[in-house]
Amino acid sequence: MKSVPKPLLNIIPQLMLQQVMFAALEVIINKAVSLNINPNNQLNDLEQKTLAIKLAELPFPLCLTVNHNKILVTKLIERADCTITTSISTLQALKKEQQLTELIKQDRLDLIGDIKVAKHFASLAETFDIDWQTELAKHIGDVATHQLVRLGHTIKEKVAFVSEQIQADSVEYLTHEQRLVVSNSQLEQFNQAVSVVELQSKQVESRLNQLADRLSTLS
Amino acid sequence: MSSQENNHKDDSNANDNTTHFGYKTVAKDEKVSMVASVFHSVAAQYDVMNDLMSFGVHRLWKRFTIDASGVRPGNTVLDLAGGTGDLTAKFSQLVGREGKVILADINSSMLNVGRDKLRDLGLVQNIEYVQANAQSLPFEDNTFDIVTVAFGLRNVTDKEMALRSIYRVLKPGGRLLVLEFSKPEYELVNKVYDFYSFNILPKMGGIVAKDADSYQYLAESIRMHPDQETLKTMMDDAGFEQTGYKNLTGGVVALHKGYKF
Repeated sequence: MKSVPKPLLNIIPQLMLQQVMFAALEVIINKAVSLNINPNNQLNDLEQKTLAIKLAELPFPLCLTVNHNKILVTKLIERADCTITTSISTLQALKKEQQLTELIKQDRLDLIGDIKVAKHFASLAETFDIDWQTELAKHIGDVATHQLVRLGHTIKEKVAFVSEQIQADSVEYLTHEQRLVVSNSQLEQFNQAVSVVELQSKQVESRLNQLADRLSTLS
Repeated sequence: MSSQENNHKDDSNANDNTTHFGYKTVAKDEKVSMVASVFHSVAAQYDVMNDLMSFGVHRLWKRFTIDASGVRPGNTVLDLAGGTGDLTAKFSQLVGREGKVILADINSSMLNVGRDKLRDLGLVQNIEYVQANAQSLPFEDNTFDIVTVAFGLRNVTDKEMALRSIYRVLKPGGRLLVLEFSKPEYELVNKVYDFYSFNILPKMGGIVAKDADSYQYLAESIRMHPDQETLKTMMDDAGFEQTGYKNLTGGVVALHKGYKF
């Protein structure tokens, strides 16, 4: 395999992809916060608090700082009130506040600092709800939105049906057509055969023990 | 003229009473007013031109600077030569109510544009505005946790004096971050950058800011600014410790950092 030229490797960190990601996340999060139809006081409680998230999949931390109902995304971990070390899949489970202690117990999440900050952020994520239809209607109109949403539902239903069908067909194919997976009767047969072998080996073992006893008596 | 051939070690290499204004050699006393007239002229279009000239990348350079600053709630920050206040805006949000950010610039037009912009953003609580010369900062010793100079140092007449002045006002443990155009690391980048700076940039300035000469000065002043290693040595000489720099976008820009202990 050809190696990447060194100057090219050197320039990659200089492209500031982290900063691009932070800037994009900041815009997305704050837009989502402004569209939330369940606004609560969580952001007020988090004023000037920073939650640092260290994800196993990322080589740098994501730090979320709340300022005047806006969230700043930086990598200023020095100022973190609470640091969470976890993975992206666990982060999705963290949406529920009650899950926090459970995930810590399961060693899927490590937390250092003020747990209240993490709980407030989790609670914020839990109550998050955006009325996409209303937002979409502002841009393309009510009728188009209604039709688009109906189309979306239809596609969703069809995809779900097709996926179920594929799953059922593949099971059928593996057990009956290709016989890659054993059937229940085959498993039962195998279990019986194993029991017979087990019984026979026990009989041989007891016979051997008897012979050994007799041999020791004779000697 | 090749860019780096003209890259003087520093202004102090010139005759004692003269300095550089782009590629011109002028009396030191004149430079301040000449730089002032450049920025009075471009202040109104400064942000638009920054976005156009850098294709928006200046926002990433500034974001990188914030990330490297280690700013904490309650810190006192000086955004020197802060112009229209991009760094001040971010710092203001990160130091919180307990902290303070001072936006300082020698140029009143830039300061006015910056103040209006920040007020429009609703950032008023913890920001102060000071018209100040970087060479003789009007602050007490050991005042600031962080001092930043973004794209301003190259316009200062006596850079060593400015660095000593910054060192004086920093608290022990405080740090200076200098974000400035520098020397591209790769020859290809250098050539493209030269062509862009001397052929396209002044034309852009002429069309958008109606001032091609100011953007010709910008290109020249970048080439006359000390390169990465020279600026690092200047920071060492001013008393800064643990100095270092990070090249951004192939060295087109470099972020220098140094501490006062």
